[in-house]
Amino acid sequence: MTDYSALQWAVIQGDDKKTVQQVKEVLEQGAEPAEIVVSGLRAGMITVGSKFSSGEFFVPDMLFAARAMNRALEILRPRLANSGTVTIGRVVIGTVAGDIHDIGKNLVSVFLGGAGFEIIDLGTNVSSERFVTAVKRHSPDILGMSALITTTMPGIEATIKALESAGLRRRVRVVIGGAPVTQRFADQVGADGYGTDGGAAIELCRRIIER
Amino acid sequence: MAMTHKARILAAARKRAVDKLPFGARIDVWYNYHSGHNTLAKKYEDWNMVDILRDQSAGAQVRHLCIWKIEYDDLEVVIKEDPPFKTTKWRTPVGNVSMKTVFTPQEGPWIAYEVDLPFKSSKDYPVIEYILEHTRIVPDLSEYYQKEKMVGEDGMVMTGMGMYSPMQQIMRYWLGYEKFFYELHDNPAQVEWLYELEKELAKKKLEILAESPVEMPVLCSNWSDEFHTPVFAKYFAPWLKEASDYLHSKGKLTQVHADGEMKRLIPFFLETGVDVAEAWSPAPMTSVTTAELRKAWGDKVTIWGGIPAIMFEPQYSDEEFDAYILNLFKEVAPGYNFIVGMGDNLPFDGKIERVGRVAELIDKYGSIPMPV
Repeated sequence: MTDYSALQWAVIQGDDKKTVQQVKEVLEQGAEPAEIVVSGLRAGMITVGSKFSSGEFFVPDMLFAARAMNRALEILRPRLANSGTVTIGRVVIGTVAGDIHDIGKNLVSVFLGGAGFEIIDLGTNVSSERFVTAVKRHSPDILGMSALITTTMPGIEATIKALESAGLRRRVRVVIGGAPVTQRFADQVGADGYGTDGGAAIELCRRIIER
Repeated sequence: MAMTHKARILAAARKRAVDKLPFGARIDVWYNYHSGHNTLAKKYEDWNMVDILRDQSAGAQVRHLCIWKIEYDDLEVVIKEDPPFKTTKWRTPVGNVSMKTVFTPQEGPWIAYEVDLPFKSSKDYPVIEYILEHTRIVPDLSEYYQKEKMVGEDGMVMTGMGMYSPMQQIMRYWLGYEKFFYELHDNPAQVEWLYELEKELAKKKLEILAESPVEMPVLCSNWSDEFHTPVFAKYFAPWLKEASDYLHSKGKLTQVHADGEMKRLIPFFLETGVDVAEAWSPAPMTSVTTAELRKAWGDKVTIWGGIPAIMFEPQYSDEEFDAYILNLFKEVAPGYNFIVGMGDNLPFDGKIERVGRVAELIDKYGSIPMPV
C-alpha cells in the first residue's frame, strides 16, 4: 500500500517542485494515477481547505497548493485519460448578474476543483437565464452563486425563482456566498447552503453530495 | 454652542472630549443607485446627498478619491471607451501594457473595477517600471474644494492617497492578487523594485496632502485578512507608520478604510500609527464584534463605523435594527474615540429612514459619557 503522506504534505506546503517529485516517486512505486489524485493530491487540498477555514492558512497558501496540484496533474493527465478518474460531483459556479468581482468565485473554484469536484465556471455577471441554461445543459449537482456587493444580491433570489419557473429547482442544490451574503439571507431566499469561504465550501459541498 | 458634525468627528479622531457620539454616514451607494434609476423618493428628487443627510440629521461622508492627478513623461497613453468598458494602453519605448476596467453608473459604488490587469508575465516588468519611473503626481484640488463647500461643517470629505498603499497598488492595480503572490514568491526582487518605485510616488502624494487643507487623509482601503495578513508586517505596517508619522508631523490625522475581515489584522494595526479605522464592518458581515475590537485596541485607535450595511436592509425589522444600535452603544460605552457610521455604506435597498433613526437614538442615548 502506497504511503501518500509525503505527497500530501508537499501539496499542503504549496511546494510545487516537491509535489512533482513525490508524484514521480509514487508512480515509480507502481501507484495508480487515479489513486495518486484522490489519496495524494485531493487529500492534501482538503487539508488546505480545512486550514484555510480554521484561519491557519491564507489565500497565498491556497494558491501555492493549487499550483502544486496543477503542476502534478500535468504529469498525471496523460495517464488519467483512460482511467476515468471519478469526480465527487459537478458544480456550476458564477457571480450573479451585474457583479464582476471574481476573486471569491475563483478561490472557491480552486478549492472545490482541488477537492475533486468538476467545475463549470460561467464567469462573472451571469444572468438568471444563463444560470438556468447551464443547469439544463450540464445537470450539475450543485449551483454556486456569489455576490460581492449588496446591489447584486437580488440576482441570487432571481435565479432561484428562475430555476423554480423552469422546473429545475429540485434537480440542483443551490449554494451561495460573498461578502454581504449571510446565512439569514440564504435562508430567506431558499438557498440550500451558505459558505463563508472556500474551505467551508468544500465541506458544505461534500455534505450535500453525501446526502 | 453645540458641536458641528465635523467638529465632533475630528474631536473623536483626536481622542478629545465630545458631547455625544459623532455620526458620519456614508450613503453614496444608495444615492448613486437611486439617482441612476430615477427611484429617489419624491421628497428627495433633485436633492444632493449631503442635503438628504442633513434632513436625516446625520453627519455626511462625501468621497473624493484623491487631490492629485497623474501625468506621464515620454510615454503615450491611449484610452479606448467602449461603455461600460474602458481600455487604457500605455505605450513605452520598452513595450506596451494595457488594462481594462468596467464602470456602470447605474450601480451604486461608482468605482471602476479591473477586469484585465496590465501584468501578464515577467516580460511586463520593464514596461511597468518605465511607467512608474515616468509618472508625475500633480496637485489637483479644485473638485475637492467644491465638495468641501458643499459639506461645510456638516461632515467630512474623505480623500487621501487614492485606494491603495504602495504594495496594495501592485497587488491590486498592476498584477492582481493571484499573480502577485506567485510573483512575490518566484521573483521577489522584481516585485520589491516595483514597490520601491510606488513608494517614491507615494511620497509625492503625501507631500501634496501635507500642504493641503485635508485634516485626516485616507492612507489606503479595502483590507481583508485572508489576503493581507501574510504581507502586512513587511509591506503595509512600516509604510503606514512612516506615512502616519510624516502626516502627524504636519499636524494631520490619518485614517484607513478598514471594511474587510480584520480578525487576523487586528494585532498588526497598532504598529501602523494610524489614528482612525473607518468603515469598520462588524459581525455579522465579518467575524469580529465591535466589543472585541474595542478590547483589542483600547483607546489607541478611533473606530469609525459599527453598523454593518446589511442592517439597513428590509431583511431586518425596525425592532432588530434598534436592538442592534442600542447594543452597539453598550459595546462602545462610555463612547470615547468612536464615530458611528456604516460598514461601509447604505446599500441600494437600505432604508434611508434608518439613518435618521440612528441620529435619533444618538440624541436619546448617546450623550458622552454613556453609562457603562
